[in-house]
Amino acid sequence: MSRDLAGVWLAEAAVFALVVAAILAERPWALGATGGALVAAGALVRFVPRLGAALVGAFARRRAAALAGGAVFALALPLALRSSPYWTFVATLALLYVTIGQGLNFQLGTAGVINLAGAAFAGLGGYAVGLATVAGGWPSWLAVLVGPWVAVTVGTLLFVPILKTRGHYLALVTIAFVFIFNILVNNLEFTGGPQGIKNIPTLSLGGYAFTTRPALAGVDLPAHANFYYAALAMAGLTTWVLRRLHDSWLGLALNTLRDDEITARCCGVSVTRGKLLAFSIGNFFIGLGGAFYAVMVGFVSPPDFDFGYSLVMLSVIIIGGVDSIPGVVLGACLLVPLPERFRFLHEYRLLLYGVVIVVMLLYRPRGLWPAQIRRYR
Amino acid sequence: MSLLEATGLTVRFEGLVALDGVNVAVAEGETVGVIGPNGSGKTTLFNALTGLLAPAAGEIVFLGRRLVGLEAHAIARLGIARTFQASRLCLDLSVFDNILIGMHARRRTSLLDFVARRGRFLGEMRAAIERASHLLTLFNRALPQRGFERVGQLPQIDRRRVEICRALAAGPRLLLLDEPSAGMSPEETAELMRDLRIVRDEMPGLSVVIIEHDMFVIEGVSQRVVAFNYGRKIAEGSFAEVARHAEVRAAYLGTEAPHA
Repeated sequence: MSRDLAGVWLAEAAVFALVVAAILAERPWALGATGGALVAAGALVRFVPRLGAALVGAFARRRAAALAGGAVFALALPLALRSSPYWTFVATLALLYVTIGQGLNFQLGTAGVINLAGAAFAGLGGYAVGLATVAGGWPSWLAVLVGPWVAVTVGTLLFVPILKTRGHYLALVTIAFVFIFNILVNNLEFTGGPQGIKNIPTLSLGGYAFTTRPALAGVDLPAHANFYYAALAMAGLTTWVLRRLHDSWLGLALNTLRDDEITARCCGVSVTRGKLLAFSIGNFFIGLGGAFYAVMVGFVSPPDFDFGYSLVMLSVIIIGGVDSIPGVVLGACLLVPLPERFRFLHEYRLLLYGVVIVVMLLYRPRGLWPAQIRRYR
Repeated sequence: MSLLEATGLTVRFEGLVALDGVNVAVAEGETVGVIGPNGSGKTTLFNALTGLLAPAAGEIVFLGRRLVGLEAHAIARLGIARTFQASRLCLDLSVFDNILIGMHARRRTSLLDFVARRGRFLGEMRAAIERASHLLTLFNRALPQRGFERVGQLPQIDRRRVEICRALAAGPRLLLLDEPSAGMSPEETAELMRDLRIVRDEMPGLSVVIIEHDMFVIEGVSQRVVAFNYGRKIAEGSFAEVARHAEVRAAYLGTEAPHA
């Protein structure tokens, strides 16, 4: 059915074009027009049932083609944004939040292990990279691969007191941990105190330094495009791995553990093992995001990993959809660029996230893209 | 030899003795009914057998292994499955997922298979879903078609069936049913009795212990009945014997118990 195919790709192209236009619009009226067009398109799909159903059906029937189309547009984004290194950077940041959000969602959404220390675990990955490269002289790529394991290890140690707590106390323990982490890196000698760690060498793979400006199809791109593509590969791989883990015995066991611990135990699920596994897998990807951030911006300091960022990570999940893997992608792509586009919002970012969380929990608790039922195919 | 043998089983909550030196044995393939007024220790017995509660004293031997001190998930893996008095389904998960979790302990694929050798995992899942469908069909032919719906959308009687299917999915040697007719109409209870007979015909080697207040269910399905009061076993035998027992009548009808 080539009509489906045309519909899917046309819809994707329209969203891509409108998003790029909204990002690059310089005059307020242009931004208003493109933003209005996006909202109108969304409302059309939402409130014209036949159109919405047709699109949903087309996407369901043509999943592979839809994913391929999405990949093509994701690959093409730096070309469209080539005039603006800044927006290439923001797009990369959104991809880091996809990686981190998937990790956090596996803990919080899939297993119900509340973790409000996302910023600290990202910080552990980032600081590990900083220390390994600047003090230890490691190559950056090796540090990025090792950094996440520091987050996993510290997470495992923290897990001992966590396991003895239930419900809200878990949230409190992890909140305490973010603040402990911040106070420590702020005051310890070897983490550079409030100055943090500067001059983290940039990534270079096989002699190709990420500071060189790449050219794609004869078009020169800003140097940040290197990081964009690396972050795209990382976010894609993370999403792919966690999708498969979610749609497996492990994801099922963790969902059961989240919904009813006693049932899970009576079905042979070990609470300790399940929660520790979910916590560790999640911390790995959160730490990976933090490690990548460190080599991307070249320095880490305490305010990069304060409690506010834990809330940003949490809002990504709540707006996208708790336990929903595509939801996390959507949440990160919405929530990271929006305050950058509307600078006046930037000052009130945390307020915005707070409002978003409350509104979503009240009116759409399952998120914009709710979790789907496992089909095992 | 008994499949399960509990001796001198005692459970205390602070000062209250919920189970007081109880001896219970279940033979292979046998269905034992457990009766007794509210608070007499029936559910506490189940909780102690499944490892949710630690007994203060006593011994539980199942298939020649001592269960006291084992964690609930380890006991489940040895072959004891149960249902709960108040339904404990994960309402947001699908009907199939609620049954598949029962097979979790018998999985043969690992994390590596989930991610990298997906074909192997999906093959196992297809077989597992087929088994879940088969179990559902035993009770209600229409249920497998609703396998990928959220279990919260099913009516009460079908939810109870899903819960029994979950317990059976584990392939247990011993099935503990905690008041399956709770909250059911007489018609639904009749259907439930039919379901329980189907289970017995399908799995003749399976031992069942069933807690019930509905005496028709107890009489209809159990070969042996054990009666509890105040945490003690007060009678044991055939349904007719137990029903005639003076202390049982006293516990249920409230007349003065003759001192033996």
